[in-house]
Amino acid sequence: MIPVDRPLPGDVVEDAIDQPFWDACRDHVLLIYRCRICAESFWPAGCCPQHGMQDMIWVTASGGGTLHTWTVVHQKYSKSFTEERTVVAVVKLDEGPLMHTNLIGSNGIDLQVGLPVGVVFQTIASESVIPVFQLRNQSETSAPR
Amino acid sequence: MNSQLDVAIAGMGLTKQGRRLGISRRELRRQALDLALTDANLQRSDIDGYIFIGATPEDLRYLGLSPAFAYSLMTGGASPVASILVAAGAVATDQARHVACVYGEAYSSIPPKLNPHSNAGTERDIKAYSYGYPYLYGMVGPAATYALAARRHMSLYGTTSEDLGRVAVTEREFASVRPGAQGYGQPITLDDHQDSRMIVDPLRLLDCSRPTDGGAAVIVTSSKRAADLTDRPVEVLGAGTSHGIESWWNGSMFESMNVSRAAQRAFEQAQVGIEDIDVAQLYAPFTIATLMQLEEYGFCKPGEGGSFVAAGHTGPGGTIPTNTGGGQLSGFYATGFTPLSEGILQMRGEAPSNQVVGAQTCLVSGSGGNGGIQGSWAHAALILGAAR
Repeated sequence: MIPVDRPLPGDVVEDAIDQPFWDACRDHVLLIYRCRICAESFWPAGCCPQHGMQDMIWVTASGGGTLHTWTVVHQKYSKSFTEERTVVAVVKLDEGPLMHTNLIGSNGIDLQVGLPVGVVFQTIASESVIPVFQLRNQSETSAPR
Repeated sequence: MNSQLDVAIAGMGLTKQGRRLGISRRELRRQALDLALTDANLQRSDIDGYIFIGATPEDLRYLGLSPAFAYSLMTGGASPVASILVAAGAVATDQARHVACVYGEAYSSIPPKLNPHSNAGTERDIKAYSYGYPYLYGMVGPAATYALAARRHMSLYGTTSEDLGRVAVTEREFASVRPGAQGYGQPITLDDHQDSRMIVDPLRLLDCSRPTDGGAAVIVTSSKRAADLTDRPVEVLGAGTSHGIESWWNGSMFESMNVSRAAQRAFEQAQVGIEDIDVAQLYAPFTIATLMQLEEYGFCKPGEGGSFVAAGHTGPGGTIPTNTGGGQLSGFYATGFTPLSEGILQMRGEAPSNQVVGAQTCLVSGSGGNGGIQGSWAHAALILGAAR
């Protein structure tokens, strides 16, 4: 059980622009913010560096990606995180953007950049669900030759 | 070398730097300013511009200053180099004759609170060290960001923990003979590094700097005034900045410290090339930052930072002595004033240890100023020149 005093999504941003993202997480749907002019996708929400806020829309992401980099946090920086060792990962989503997350089901050993990962949703408090990732079964994700 | 900037550093004050000095932040700033005034042969009343690294309404009264302007400037560890640039602008536009850029913090005396997060939103653990939404995942403080970069470097280039360790050993070699440095009298070996505990994998304890207390002040003026004030002015030959948020969009965030744009401007202004740099003072709170910058500035090729350091190029007597006072890892941590102050000492020929004989140019870098995603650091590059 994760204690409720860990930070929640509303605590880390100053306004509600990402609220649709967190609402969708409760339905186990991963969203990304997309510019409909150039089709670039972003997370977290913000202006498209080419087209500003002209035509931004939340769209459903595949939930798949690859492991871009990771670290295992040994230091007890914060009492809010009680896991023995947290794997903080950056995932490159299939749609392009990088996303900080946790890699679950891994002790941080035998990982490699580029491993395929998939989203799963973790309830961290009532009303609060965050996306985390786990390694995908190689056989399930390898592209047909 | 012909500086296009007509700006020089006429004085510097550096207080004692160390752990838990028991001196308040503003008192550290006052001491630093007074040392800089004495150093530049100036009076309080001569200071007509004040740039404070941070934010406080208290300083002018406590420091006894009545300048034409007083600004706060904060872009993290890039602030000290950035303050030189802002001061240069004020001097160039005749808004001030002598600008004091002042820093003083007591990090180790006032450590970040480790209070549990409160849902009331008034108390967040580690506060500013959380840097936005990666905090949700337990990512706290800059070490984790540099760890993500280190892991990426290892994956791309085969860099090893030993490669990182040699940076720590080399910088400690400089610090072990520098009176007042945190690592004074305490050289370390690669085994010491490998035996030190893991903090954020792959960064070990000896890959990380630790906070110290201290003050620093620099007085910026025109080259002509500086030459009248002191017989060892330090010329500002060139400078450049680059904010790194673009690296979040282009996916290079964990492979770059956003050096290129800043470096290009600085080297163009200074009209020198990387081969002309005699000594380097790099902003490197973690070992990986030294390797990345050696590569990004072009002292060696991408991915060759580890072997470059292993060959001794950055150490005492090397081709490009780097962080010659021990840097932030083993000297002291005064954000970007660690490299800046050492660069000034080297250009004056006054480094208390490991003075690079005949050094005429010094590269100083700064990094900081989060762009909204942890790791989207700003970068600042400064090329200093010795008086001739």
